[in-house]
Amino acid sequence: MANILIIEDDDIMLKAIKNILGKAGYNVITAKDGKEAFDQMENADYDVVVTDLMMPYANGLEVVSRLRGDATKRHVSIIVVSSVGNEETITEAFRLGADDYLKKPIMAGELLIRIKKLLDNRANHSKLVTKKK
Amino acid sequence: MFSGLTQLLFQAYESFGVLDLFIQIALAFIFIALFATIIAYSVILYKRWKAYAEEKRMNFIRPKIEEMITEQVLINENLEKVPVDEIEFDPAALNDNIYKTPWVRQMVIETIISYRKNFRGEVGELLRKLYIDMGLTKDSFDKMKSIRWEKKIKAVGELTQMDIQISDVTILPLTNSTNPSLRAAARNAYIQLSKNEPFKFFDVATEPILPWDQLELFKIITTTKDIAIPNFSRWVSYSTNKSVVSFCLKLIAHYDQQSAIPAVMDLLNNKDHYFRADAINCLGKLTAEAAEERMVRIYNTQPIYCQLEILKALGRIGSGKHLDFLKSEFLFSSNFDVRMNAARSIIKHNTPASRALIDDLKETSHDENRLIISHCQNPLIKY
Amino acid sequence: MKAIARFFSSGVFWETVGEFYQHGVFIYGTSLLLAYGMLAIMSLISIRRYIKRNSTADLNILVESPLAPGISVIAPAFNESVTIVQNVRSLLTFNYPKYEVIIINDGSTDDTLEKLIAEFEMQLCEYAFRATLNCQPIKRVYKSTNPAYEKLLVIDKVNGKSKADASNAGINLSSYEYFLCTDVDCILEKDTLLKLIKPFMDEETTKIKEVGTPCEECGFQHIVEDFKRVIATGATLRMVNSCDVDGGLITRVRPPRRFLPRFQEMEYIRAFVLGKMGWDLINSVPNVSGGLGMFDKEIAVKAGGYDSKSFGEDMDLITRMCSLMKANDRKYAVRYVPETLCWTEGPTTLKVFGRQRSRWARGLAQIMSIHRKILFNPRFGRLGLIVFPYNFFFELLAPLIEFTGILYYIYLIWTGQINWPYAIILIIFVYTYSVMITTLALLWDQITFKYYKTWGEVIGLCAMAFLEPFVYHPLILFFSLKGYFNFITGRKHVWGNMQRQGFGNQAKKKTEPNPA
Repeated sequence: MANILIIEDDDIMLKAIKNILGKAGYNVITAKDGKEAFDQMENADYDVVVTDLMMPYANGLEVVSRLRGDATKRHVSIIVVSSVGNEETITEAFRLGADDYLKKPIMAGELLIRIKKLLDNRANHSKLVTKKK
Repeated sequence: MFSGLTQLLFQAYESFGVLDLFIQIALAFIFIALFATIIAYSVILYKRWKAYAEEKRMNFIRPKIEEMITEQVLINENLEKVPVDEIEFDPAALNDNIYKTPWVRQMVIETIISYRKNFRGEVGELLRKLYIDMGLTKDSFDKMKSIRWEKKIKAVGELTQMDIQISDVTILPLTNSTNPSLRAAARNAYIQLSKNEPFKFFDVATEPILPWDQLELFKIITTTKDIAIPNFSRWVSYSTNKSVVSFCLKLIAHYDQQSAIPAVMDLLNNKDHYFRADAINCLGKLTAEAAEERMVRIYNTQPIYCQLEILKALGRIGSGKHLDFLKSEFLFSSNFDVRMNAARSIIKHNTPASRALIDDLKETSHDENRLIISHCQNPLIKY
Repeated sequence: MKAIARFFSSGVFWETVGEFYQHGVFIYGTSLLLAYGMLAIMSLISIRRYIKRNSTADLNILVESPLAPGISVIAPAFNESVTIVQNVRSLLTFNYPKYEVIIINDGSTDDTLEKLIAEFEMQLCEYAFRATLNCQPIKRVYKSTNPAYEKLLVIDKVNGKSKADASNAGINLSSYEYFLCTDVDCILEKDTLLKLIKPFMDEETTKIKEVGTPCEECGFQHIVEDFKRVIATGATLRMVNSCDVDGGLITRVRPPRRFLPRFQEMEYIRAFVLGKMGWDLINSVPNVSGGLGMFDKEIAVKAGGYDSKSFGEDMDLITRMCSLMKANDRKYAVRYVPETLCWTEGPTTLKVFGRQRSRWARGLAQIMSIHRKILFNPRFGRLGLIVFPYNFFFELLAPLIEFTGILYYIYLIWTGQINWPYAIILIIFVYTYSVMITTLALLWDQITFKYYKTWGEVIGLCAMAFLEPFVYHPLILFFSLKGYFNFITGRKHVWGNMQRQGFGNQAKKKTEPNPA
């Protein structure tokens, strides 16, 4: 099953997403701040990263930019989940290469569907690539 | 023995009376100071001990509450299969004895609220059902009866967070409270919960709405489901309360209420120039092409804030009709900010004509103007 | 004639003078102590008010809101190569939706700038700005090419030998309507911006009315909300010396282990929690500390920004901002937050500490002499009738009176005129009272925010209250007098050669914010 990294500094939210995604059958790894996130990103390979924006050590945009800047991790799908609602921040996140932006409060069902969609897209995409070969 | 002691005290008192006034004062203060110091240390001791005990209790209870909510709500099997109203919780989990203690109940309320801040949709609805089914509504209403205003605010906050109806009879008197924080909280609750005429208080507000309250109101108005958004131009035209009008201008811009443009344009005649600046800003955000002509015409008679706002608005509207005006402001104004905003607005047009104009200006300008153009063209610089 | 001469040479005259002096000092001392007592009570009221008001407010609303006002964070750096990257990183992770971070490289001689450029992918930019405030020339401006660091702006300027000069450069290039002044080596709490901007937005207002004369620019009379404009806010500072710090974040708060900084921690708590919060109640905060303060840019710029020649530039700016408001007949407020939002490094050696304190004392003397027309001037309202008199009598004159008092006592002992029981009672009086005041400050701090984890830490800090009058206070007295001496002698030099003044070490140890 897919590996998902959740980066979130609010403890309650972190556990909640972990439980919800865990129940949906994903393999979930958590990080509670930017530093842990970078460590976890080094340690393993993920299919999807769900990140908050404002958190200690490094903000979510840095996480996105680091993932997109690293050739070995560029394929990872990124969903930003944040309470920040101003337009500039949202467009900035997309410009850096986030695949989706969910504003808190989120709908759990929506998060699951979006994750699934991103994973399906990638599966299709890789199928196409292998077919071409 | 006893008489001996009395004697001694009496003697001490006698000699105290003989002392200088200064020394008497000093002695009195020494005792006060010693006493206060001892009390202070006792309070520190007690408070720390209490906080320690409380924390220990909380650390014991918190995981239980979180586990209960996780099981009953977050990973509830019936979620998204059965309508939320029909989902039943496990009575055993909810009726645990620990949920009978008042402070644990308060903690449950707070935990549910923090989950609600993160989740809406089905999960949010189910959290609300949990709150109701555990009878926590009563806890909140009880707090409403407290004489302490901060408790009342807390109660109002909890009930609005949970989307529970509060009758007008209960909430309306609070909107006239002498305490400003309570007043604001009650007003917010009224807007969020009242189904008929949520914006009534805009008509009657005589006091300024503080910026902080505007934030809260803005959030409530923009996030509450099924709130009927009125045409805010009503208050722009008729309210005499300055903060209501400027708040409505922000809402008009947010909801892009094009039909409000004439009412906002009327404000261009207003005698208060901070007001006019707000109105111009709003017109720019509405990209009101109809207002361009008028703004350019009044430009020369305006104070500097309004001039800058007009330049910004022209950039936002970007019709291209007034590029010459922007160009002449850029070339001939002696004010740095005017030139800066003119350049930025020309660039913002982003049409072939404006691009040509900028290239031309860049070639012919002197040092500072060229620097301004490069500054405004640089995508890394936002302002 | 002879009679008069005899009168002067006789003991009677000197006795009268001595008695007069003694009484004067006693009255002075008692009123000082009473003032402290009043502050203790006022601060308790205003701290409780703060807590009540904020227990019900949700700061997160500000994070989500598109209406959040923008804030420019201004942090000068001089030779901070070792810690710069981490500290800037932590400035970039504030919990706030709309802000920029402006780092001013104040002519560092090490590789501070190079490190910033490399780490944050900075690029040289053509930057147009208007030098509204005086500062040394700005050489280069950098922005990051990585959108993750788009909030960051780095300015490289010629060293102006003072923090004031560097801050002015930052203000010149700032683009938002509020600015936060801090130091690169201070560690800030991540909610700092939220907590400091809030007082600007929820100052209670009264009615709306039409005020003032017709406007010069448009000829109409304006409808103005009769509101108090908050012009600056500040918060408590503490010592970072023994705290656990990880990647620019405090992970565990501890009072300093070494004595000198631990005394300072106690002093800061007293000055902020008891002093500033007490003044906050009657809207007479004298100063927003240079280590952490948020300002209304429009007012700060109109007041002329920081004065790079001042030794107490933070208090100088607040004084000018307040008198500007007063001169325009506008209501204003300076607000304080009792929570600790900033941790700063306290000097650990006597040499550095002494230099810092002498500079503060000199700064105070300078401000009192520059703004002397404010003292007792009713036109300046609270500033002239409360803030300045208090600072004049109880901050500026205190060391002088104390010093002469000590000399007088020595004279009395020498000549055998001293009344020992009385003298001892008086000393006990002052001692117990000062211990009480410090203890109360620590208590207010403890009942509101629990920063320390263990008993030992609290006791260790409380012990300082008992030692302070013997150890720490004499040091402060000495360094203050030294500062005044520098002020008096320094001023004579000023006419000749401004440049030659002892700014030498200021650039490095420019950071310590004056809690007084």
